[in-house]
Amino acid sequence: MTTITYIEPSGREVAIDVPDGWSLMQGATANGVDGIVAECGGSCACATCHCYVDPARAGELPAPSAAELDMLANVAAERRPESRLACQLKAAPALAGLRVRVADTQE
Amino acid sequence: MFSFDPYSPAVDADPFPYYKTLRDEHPAFWSDEAGMWVLSRYADIVTALNEWQTYSSAKGNLMTELPNRAGATLGTTDPPRHDRLRGLIQHAFMKRNLEALADPIRTIARDAAAPLAGRREFDFIEEFSSKFTVRVLFAALGLPLGDEMAVREKAVLMVQSDPVTRAKGPEHIAAYNWMTEYAAGVIAERRRNPVGDLISLFSQAEIDGDRLDEREVLLTTTTLIMAGVESLGGFMAMFALNLADHADARRAVVADPALVPDAVEESLRFNTSAQRFRRCLQKDTELHGQTMRAGDFVCLAYGSGNRDERQFPNPDVYDVRRKPRGHLGFGGGVHACLGTAIARLSVRIAFEEFHRVVPDYRRVQAQLPWMPSSTFRSPTRLDLAIH
Repeated sequence: MTTITYIEPSGREVAIDVPDGWSLMQGATANGVDGIVAECGGSCACATCHCYVDPARAGELPAPSAAELDMLANVAAERRPESRLACQLKAAPALAGLRVRVADTQE
Repeated sequence: MFSFDPYSPAVDADPFPYYKTLRDEHPAFWSDEAGMWVLSRYADIVTALNEWQTYSSAKGNLMTELPNRAGATLGTTDPPRHDRLRGLIQHAFMKRNLEALADPIRTIARDAAAPLAGRREFDFIEEFSSKFTVRVLFAALGLPLGDEMAVREKAVLMVQSDPVTRAKGPEHIAAYNWMTEYAAGVIAERRRNPVGDLISLFSQAEIDGDRLDEREVLLTTTTLIMAGVESLGGFMAMFALNLADHADARRAVVADPALVPDAVEESLRFNTSAQRFRRCLQKDTELHGQTMRAGDFVCLAYGSGNRDERQFPNPDVYDVRRKPRGHLGFGGGVHACLGTAIARLSVRIAFEEFHRVVPDYRRVQAQLPWMPSSTFRSPTRLDLAIH
């Protein structure tokens, strides 16, 4: 388990223990975190699990794949350097304590 | 001695008591009848979906696989090949790229619903959902009209299996072969006259400079047709059944059509049409005290994960206000259903239009005839009566 802190669009913060290997999208949807739609179910095909990772730690994360970069072009909210798709980030000890802000709008 | 036979008509009719025992007492269960392990808890299924290196799809994903299909479709390949294949076609299935289909889908729904006006009793499947789904598929793929009903009949037959032999029967294989030949005809036509649509694009696509394998083009197209007809139709029948059986839910949805999307999500959870898919282990894996061996097949029972009380409180209640996010009604992970957006769009529009004509209905048959299938679950006939 790796603890991830999600910041919902309302500003509410929720700390969730996400099983290692699960995506941050799965950790959010399985625990009722608000604001992630995940229309495509985690196959990197919809850009509705857009989130902003803590900019100070963005560089520690595995770089986005070509497919994720391709799909990030479709996000509904503002795209920033720290924009990621939560379905493409896997919980792992290196991410412990990561703060992830859910984008205000997904569609 | 507990047993679980996904070929049994009793499991087709009501798998849920078996699932409850599986989840509580045998969370990693070897089914002799299926010849595979069965995972039934939500968390174990999600983990298996994530670990595609361990739980491979390359030996097939249908519980009873069709001959010569594994390795040539999206659902039966692993990354990285899978990701590149999917990258070629998923653009066409993104929500924003389907908006142009909304009006044609609504016209199809109206045309299919109109003859039901004034009827006191009808078969929802024969007289509404089968007409609707096949026409939506033909519109989405730009297929020439004329063969719709044959395509529908074969799509429904090819996903079935024989409960006695626990295998595909000759009629199922014949339907699959028919569908493959039908797809081959469409592909050949698009290559002669490309029209910039999905099949034209796909049939000429390359990955890393190589043309797609002919079998990939053919069987992926065959699978798209099968899913568009059988999976969408099966799900619509289950949704209609839920609304027929839960009058309060139906009245709420009819009074406020904005509730349809939530009712659809809850239906995907509560009565999942894709009940079970399978994977093949690539290494020995310990789970819940069992040792599953490399080469063993593993059933991921989505229909059980969606009723897992460890994930969904009061799982056996159909609650249209539940918002069951993370449900497994479309599978999950890299292989999550390609058609989620078109399925949601189509079902929403179909029921908006159906409810304009038939707002109040109930189920007629006490016992439903269930499709014999180890993978999918839906009735073959659903008689509805007007109140």
